[in-house]
Amino acid sequence: MLKVDQLVKKFGGMTALGGVSLTLPDQSILGLLGMNGSGKTTMLNCINGLYEATSGEITLDGVSLIGKSPHAVFSEGVGRTFQVPRVFHQMSLLENLSVALLNKGLSNAEVAEISAHWLNKVELYRLRHNYAEELSGGQQKLLELARIMVANPKLVLLDEPFAGVNPGLALLLIRIIREMPKEVGCSVLLVSHDLTSVYELSDNILVMHEGKVLAEGSAEVIQSNPDVIEAYLGA
Amino acid sequence: MNELLLQGLVNGIVVGLIYALIGVSLNVIFGVLRVVNFAHGEFIVLGAYAAYFAQAWLGLSPLLAMPLVFVIFGAMGYGLYFVLVQRLSRSNDPEHASLLVMFGLSLVLGALMLLAFEADARSLNFTLDPPFLMFGNIILPTTKLLGLVVAILVTGALAFFLYRTMPGKALRAIIMNRDAIQIVGVDLNRLSALTFGLGLGLAGITGILVSMIFPSFSPFIGQDYTLIGFIVIVLGGLGHPIGAVAGGILFGLAEQTAMVFFSGTVAMLLGFVLLIAVILLRPAGLFGVQNSR
Repeated sequence: MLKVDQLVKKFGGMTALGGVSLTLPDQSILGLLGMNGSGKTTMLNCINGLYEATSGEITLDGVSLIGKSPHAVFSEGVGRTFQVPRVFHQMSLLENLSVALLNKGLSNAEVAEISAHWLNKVELYRLRHNYAEELSGGQQKLLELARIMVANPKLVLLDEPFAGVNPGLALLLIRIIREMPKEVGCSVLLVSHDLTSVYELSDNILVMHEGKVLAEGSAEVIQSNPDVIEAYLGA
Repeated sequence: MNELLLQGLVNGIVVGLIYALIGVSLNVIFGVLRVVNFAHGEFIVLGAYAAYFAQAWLGLSPLLAMPLVFVIFGAMGYGLYFVLVQRLSRSNDPEHASLLVMFGLSLVLGALMLLAFEADARSLNFTLDPPFLMFGNIILPTTKLLGLVVAILVTGALAFFLYRTMPGKALRAIIMNRDAIQIVGVDLNRLSALTFGLGLGLAGITGILVSMIFPSFSPFIGQDYTLIGFIVIVLGGLGHPIGAVAGGILFGLAEQTAMVFFSGTVAMLLGFVLLIAVILLRPAGLFGVQNSR
């Protein structure tokens, strides 16, 4: 279970996160909505160690993630994707996945087997020997997702997984994300502007506004919340 | 004339592979750490002195000294990373900051070598029997041939490390995307220190090859090798480990074949003309990818 308690992140005089708390139970999906600049990506960056929190606490299964470097957070079972996928462009798809298994102590055969499983899952297996730079933006997002899934994470942080992805690949992404909690046993923190996908996938939704939590609840609750309608949905 | 040209080409390949080794080690350091190691040439010269004193004091042949020098220089690089380089990597502009600091280190190392070893040029007392082989009218000194074999083996071992082992793949992954490697569980600091150690270890081995193949070395020539290293990596592609091999061989061939027809100064000048031509035609170098970072 992920617990974020009163998380504050300041950049000089600007407060990006002003005391945000959230709980994400095991094997569930929490959707994170908010306007640009509301602090969603900053939240992910604090959880996975790219940013050092100014104050507050973040724990995963009772283990504090505060002060840990990104690679140490990964070792605790946290995987992360980015709005603009960060793949290793001049490596094959198989190599991209094998790098994420570097510290797992697996044999080459095991690495190949796990990589093949996830490349099949994201429907990129036939391109396994191609360089990542040859993939479209949407395919690179699928590759990035596969790269974190090979490590069998406890928590997956997805930053705008549907941005710039064609409808066909978006449907594939939705299917994979929906199956992840049951199939792998992980929980998912999903940041997206795609309201339909977030409503469809999330067990619970949290709406952020100017670095604070504006509302929390099910899709129905969020859609009918007057504060959310005024600040975010605009209707 | 054709035989002279052929001799120049053979010399070009031998010298080019030494240049390639200089460039590869410099390129791996730059690619991973974004650190411009302006002191690289001084570490090469230190490697040459290490071979000289290993032979004079311990009676070790340069070939036997190579693994020893690689380990010692590698450990020195690993330690130096945490003392000096780590801070530079963290700065907002590591390229410029490191250029200045490493240039300072280059001057300090040059001065220390001058104090310790004096200004006289030294030569390694290393010959093989027979001293040279004849292929038709082409003369190939056996020490150069041995240097060529060692350079090929070292380059091959490095390519194997980079493309076939997991730490090597992780090292290449850092070059491609520094942020992404951290979020897949790789300890960036440890791997960066390993890279700097690898770079200096290779510089040590290159120094031994330099002492075997070139007539002499002195504390003053470090910056010449650094300059050659930078030419080679600009030719091959900044940050591209194997691009430097092509850049080194190309530069060596241009320089050595030009020497057949012109003076050494003109040959060096032609090397720079080649550099300018590549920059104009392919600004990212022969193997470089534009806007890859």
